[in-house]
Amino acid sequence: MKQLFSVSIALLVSLTFLVLLLFFMGEDLNALSEALQHTFLNRFGLGYTLFYTTPLIFTGLSVALCFHAGLFNIGAEGQLLWGAIAIVAFSRYFPNLPPWSAIPLSFVVAALAGSLWGFLPGYFKAKRGTHEVITTILLNFIALSCVNYLILYPFKNPESQSAETSVLPAGYQLQTLWFPTTPVNVSLIIAIAVAIAVYVLLFRTSFGFELRTMGQSPRAAVFSGVLLSQRTLAVFMISGALAGLVATNDILGNEHKLIEGFSPGYGFTGIAVALLARNHPIGIIFSSFLFGSLQNFSRELEFFSQNISKEVSLILQAILIILVSTRDFWQRRRLK
Amino acid sequence: MIELLTSSLRLSAPLIFAAMGGLLCERAGVATICLEGVLLISAFTAASVDLLTLNPIASVVAGMFAGSIFMGLHAFLTQKAKTDHIISGVAINILAAGLPPLLSQAWFGSSTNTPSVPTAARLSAAWMIAISLVLPLGIHYLIYRTRFGLRIRSAGDGPEALQTAGVSVEKVRTLALLLGGALTSLGGSYLSIGHSSQFLRDMTAGGGFIALAAVIFGKWRPIPVLFASLFFGFTEALPMILQGISWKGISIPVQWIQTLPYLLTIGILVTTIGSARPPRAIGSNQN
Repeated sequence: MKQLFSVSIALLVSLTFLVLLLFFMGEDLNALSEALQHTFLNRFGLGYTLFYTTPLIFTGLSVALCFHAGLFNIGAEGQLLWGAIAIVAFSRYFPNLPPWSAIPLSFVVAALAGSLWGFLPGYFKAKRGTHEVITTILLNFIALSCVNYLILYPFKNPESQSAETSVLPAGYQLQTLWFPTTPVNVSLIIAIAVAIAVYVLLFRTSFGFELRTMGQSPRAAVFSGVLLSQRTLAVFMISGALAGLVATNDILGNEHKLIEGFSPGYGFTGIAVALLARNHPIGIIFSSFLFGSLQNFSRELEFFSQNISKEVSLILQAILIILVSTRDFWQRRRLK
Repeated sequence: MIELLTSSLRLSAPLIFAAMGGLLCERAGVATICLEGVLLISAFTAASVDLLTLNPIASVVAGMFAGSIFMGLHAFLTQKAKTDHIISGVAINILAAGLPPLLSQAWFGSSTNTPSVPTAARLSAAWMIAISLVLPLGIHYLIYRTRFGLRIRSAGDGPEALQTAGVSVEKVRTLALLLGGALTSLGGSYLSIGHSSQFLRDMTAGGGFIALAAVIFGKWRPIPVLFASLFFGFTEALPMILQGISWKGISIPVQWIQTLPYLLTIGILVTTIGSARPPRAIGSNQN
């Protein structure tokens, strides 16, 4: 409840900022209401908002799981890229699979690829003590280069001028759900199911209990017999798998091919998503919806305004992170 | 060979500035993954002001000012509001990634880059490189030979002692951050109007993180950090040389070569970290 209140205040502040920004840039304020309508109020807009929600649930969970264990995963961006290219590669080798096996196997393959990339920072942290923040960030850059190479050479679509892979075989293409002409697909339901599964893992299993102990007091965890290095490795691999699943939404559900730079920073937005939900898996579903709408909204705002670029969503994101993470500070001040 | 050396020096300069800025902050006990954002925002500010005034010195000063404001925000968030240092850093990086495209679109009509600065208004790269090579000596003196330096080291290694001596840890850390932000911004301004002639979106390409790796590799000491930065600059220069080379008619794809600096950085961090000891109180908040 307290969190809901502080998030509403943060949203109010960002909205005020946005109105001021539009005002000072000499924009028509109708652009704001048009963009809001096209984010929430019509079928098409809401469909896209939900489509943008799905990847954020996955990356938000990925970041949050690590947070619970006292670890930072800033590498979701790289992990999701490997998930995407893995689906493309898999479909290349098994082009004739029927949907009932192609789709579930694609989910598995994407998760496996992400978890392999997540293994690296986990291993470096567990065995060598290298801080995971810096390794995950550097691994993002490496993943980006490698995946771009794979898109441009081995998996390049020879008939296309732009940097993209060939279209996936028919068995790998997900149908849209509920919202015709928008790319919402079954990934959204899977994402919500995964969020519930992560909740159970964290709060209803001994593994989850160990993770949370480790996050709150590594010493207590060690004394109760938890092998920190082993758990670190496991957490990073699960986190990587969660991030890898992002690809299913875009690749299987929307484009049916991998385009260079397909992720507008889902991995980084995942940090904001997790923070806003205070790392609660169920809360993440809702905060993903919030950031998914923010992303769709800023796209629409770019379209309806004269001169606002869609990167305005990054600024609003930063404002939200700052306000929510300083909540205690503002409360202390009020008490004084 | 000469070409390789000069281009490593050119590419090292922003890393050295950022690493020296980061070193000051980290020695004072503040984790600074926001170096990347500070580089980016100062690069954009310097390019914009240079386009407006055609005065490179004023632009560098403006860049330093912008960088200090961002580091000041980091100081406020970590020292006053007691938020987690990494979360504050991530927020600042996101802000610094979003602000330039928005402003660039509004001022110059393109969200990906600013127009080019005329040659006469560019910063002298040679001077900046010279400064970057001398700066670590100054930082060494500041940290080990001045009262302020002693306070910075105490804020990072034994904030309790500083508190007991009646010095505000928050104040020392804030000053270190503001100074560190200004130094880092020298690197950002150099990138946009010295090394290049315009601001490009994401032009820092992880330089802030590599600088941070250099700080760790140099074990938080100015002179070793200088050499670490030079080494990382060298690994960034290698791809330019390797790009032309082909072996039996097969040339190495540019994407593989681009990963080289990051691969080497990780390799070094993973193999040497065992012997590196960070400032004891890094990332902690005094209450």
